[in-house]
Amino acid sequence: MSDVVATPQRIKRLIVESLHLEGVKPEMIEDEAPLFGEGLGLDSVDALELVVALEKEFGIKIKSQELGREVFSSVSSLSEFIEGRT
Amino acid sequence: MSRTVLLTGLGTVGAFGCGGESLERALAEGTPSLSEVDRSAGYHLPEGARLACLVTVSLSEWLSPAEGRRMSPPSKLAVAASRMALRGAGLDSGSEGSEATAVFLSTAFGPSSNSEGMLKQIFLEGPEAVSPFLFTESVANAPAAQIAIANRARGPSVTVCQREAGPLLAVSQAAAAVASGRAERAFAGAVDEVSPLLHALLDRFGALARSGPDGDEIARPFDRRRCGFLAGEGATVLLLESAESVAARGAQAIARVLSWGSAFDPTAPVSDWGKGHDVLARGLRKCLGRAGIEPQAVDRIVSGASGSRAGDRLEALTLREALCGGNSPGGPGLPPVLTPKAVTGEYGGGLLGAAVLAAAGARFGATPGFAEPDPELDVVPHDGSALPPPSTVLVSSLAAGGAGAWLLLGAP
Amino acid sequence: MTHAGKNGPRVAVTGLGAVSGLGWGAEALWAGLRAGRTAIRLFERFDHSGHRTHLAAEAPEPPAGAVRDLPGGSRLSLADRFALFAALEAVAQAGLGASLANEEAGVYFGSSTGGMFESERFFSTFLGERRRYARLSSLAAQQVNSPGDAIARHLRITGPVQTVSSACASGALALGAALDAVRSGEVEMAVAGGSDSLCQLTYAGFNALRSVDERPCRPFRASREGMSFGEGAAVLVLERLDRALARGVEPLAVLDGAGASCDAYHMTAPEPTGTGAAAAMDQALRDAGLPPEAIDFVNAHATGTPLNDAAEWRALTQVFGERAAALPVTATKALIGHLLGSSGAIEAVATVLSLRHGELHPVPRAEEAQTGVDPELPVALVLDRPLSLEARTAVSTSLAFGGSNAALVFSRWATGQAA
Repeated sequence: MSDVVATPQRIKRLIVESLHLEGVKPEMIEDEAPLFGEGLGLDSVDALELVVALEKEFGIKIKSQELGREVFSSVSSLSEFIEGRT
Repeated sequence: MSRTVLLTGLGTVGAFGCGGESLERALAEGTPSLSEVDRSAGYHLPEGARLACLVTVSLSEWLSPAEGRRMSPPSKLAVAASRMALRGAGLDSGSEGSEATAVFLSTAFGPSSNSEGMLKQIFLEGPEAVSPFLFTESVANAPAAQIAIANRARGPSVTVCQREAGPLLAVSQAAAAVASGRAERAFAGAVDEVSPLLHALLDRFGALARSGPDGDEIARPFDRRRCGFLAGEGATVLLLESAESVAARGAQAIARVLSWGSAFDPTAPVSDWGKGHDVLARGLRKCLGRAGIEPQAVDRIVSGASGSRAGDRLEALTLREALCGGNSPGGPGLPPVLTPKAVTGEYGGGLLGAAVLAAAGARFGATPGFAEPDPELDVVPHDGSALPPPSTVLVSSLAAGGAGAWLLLGAP
Repeated sequence: MTHAGKNGPRVAVTGLGAVSGLGWGAEALWAGLRAGRTAIRLFERFDHSGHRTHLAAEAPEPPAGAVRDLPGGSRLSLADRFALFAALEAVAQAGLGASLANEEAGVYFGSSTGGMFESERFFSTFLGERRRYARLSSLAAQQVNSPGDAIARHLRITGPVQTVSSACASGALALGAALDAVRSGEVEMAVAGGSDSLCQLTYAGFNALRSVDERPCRPFRASREGMSFGEGAAVLVLERLDRALARGVEPLAVLDGAGASCDAYHMTAPEPTGTGAAAAMDQALRDAGLPPEAIDFVNAHATGTPLNDAAEWRALTQVFGERAAALPVTATKALIGHLLGSSGAIEAVATVLSLRHGELHPVPRAEEAQTGVDPELPVALVLDRPLSLEARTAVSTSLAFGGSNAALVFSRWATGQAA
């Protein structure tokens, strides 16, 4: 069994911590659930805060042009994006 | 000035707790609530001040964690206080809000812990590490913006930054907006947070009272031994309304705003008090004159004196010049002088809350820290004895940097 | 022409002062604006290599002697110096002496960051490991009220002095407060405006929100991607029109109305229908006693962010209806950047200068082939070259971060106009 935490789990933990989502546990966030608008109901500023957290956590730089809706639509899509960059 | 401006709600939070009753209790007892400031970041001088009037009470009755998730500490305090004021005025916070409701809020230092967080990120991690949350809520107008959002107040939204004169300037502008018809209602008040960094810097500038042979850190307004003020955080938000608006809903008002005014002392050095009590006194008299009120008619003073050496001196000389016809002995004395900052600390609007309570006839205890009059000032703040309810309350606050502001409150 | 406005005596602008990336002085500002010259470029105010973007409209070095002799010396921040220069220029143009001690005068000012640029020197050391080397004196002028106070001190003003810090609406709100104060007789003369210098805090902050364009901003264009930064100050001297004429001073314009509102919607995003911004404009028009048809051009807030420009267009359609697409619009931020707390003031100066010169300034000629506006927001943006327009009345808008909106209505005063 690998000791490395899978990307989706790391992202979920980051979402809860960086966005101060008290009362939400990382495991409560489903991989495919919408993050913005409905679902967790996050907004544009949450997305930007998450971006900074992701940049720090994964040591990557995310360009403004990459901040489209599709990449950030769910944990799965984010995970795919990040694994493509690391 | 045209329309009558009434005060219908008071929301306040500070080291004394939450709500007007808590503040009233603290003022009657005449004791500041002091907490140890967190010194673990190493900002403080070893010999420096250690205490401040910090908010320890929960705001959960007024603001859910979900709502406050991204808010800076001042924004949370301000929203909570605005909701208290609305409830106190008998208004429903779930209403649609209005284009005719304005927000005038003052802050001396803004959400300083947010700015601090950002500056640390910039200098220790690099500019790209800056948190969008922190920036969004670091601007001075964040608390006013959050009050507007929480209450759907779509009228003018103004944040005044004029140090210790800010709270009275904010209320003055709000009163002017209601009087002229630019607004029917206005949230008006002040908010500040005292972070460990701010506390340490105020102390390094020599502004704060330190412990000494006379005892622990304590503010001594107008006292010969005064050596600085107590830093205090919190928020006070008043609801001002036109008389028509109050009458239309059959509500009761707490007080009436009779007049307001401000002036500037150009002898003031940057961030300090000057020696221009004559020009400030002229400004104070103009404030009285606008409402046709004679100096002798003022029967209570709620003074912004805080224990600051230069500030209290200027305040005393200004009051005596304006109300006693000069500073020569044997002239008429001052009416009872209340100095609530000895209980609430400086910043956070404690002065405003106390002023409203004074106008409503609340009991004030003996002035903490005062025992020895300063012969140059010759002002003796209230000794705790019973006082009749006042008819005309003068509220006064002079800012470091030169500005001075006054407010006159009367019966509704 | 009557001296009585709808809400009291009419108030004249009798002096202008400005500092911006286009230079020190209102003349330098106008020369650059009408030439369509952008001041947005790589800057040197601080090391921006670690920031996400690298452009700003930085103020050039001051002309010799302009600020060296100001009392207060090293305790003055750059924002203080900008403010003092602009105030002295405006006061001189208004035919007033070096001291306003004997006037019933007040200062109504706006700033977002005051002396933060200088304070960052302190914080970079104090918040790190070299704490004991941090010099407290760098913090002296940190407060946002410092520039306004500096003006009051220098001119020996003893009337009301207040600073507003409501982000991008600060300067316009300050002018609105000054208008009310002069109308009501609280002061006879108001020195009103704003000042802000570049600093790392706001530079990093707006970049964290990804609101900044890597290239010079392109307001209302389809290719717009965000704002550009600027710095500087602007001051207008306001006094009653009849008093100015009695003094023998030529009014530069009349500030006929001011309006303000709040979106009460979101901390960073404007309310998309533009209703809040429209309310501020409507209020300013009502305050001026003028119908929308009286407005001949708009000096728009026009930051160049996708959302602001879209919301502002919607607001224009709400206020001006079918005229909105034909009403000439100037976007001053495209040349001098966004001056944050002083933007409303410097854009008021630009509006007055446009009225005086009968000319609207263009935006810089864009590099890409298509320079037209976004068809989704078909404003009549003045492009390429100045537009000759003998405008009588204009509105200037400021739509701030946090939702605070302000609008000002200025009317032309023609030289030699009968009293």
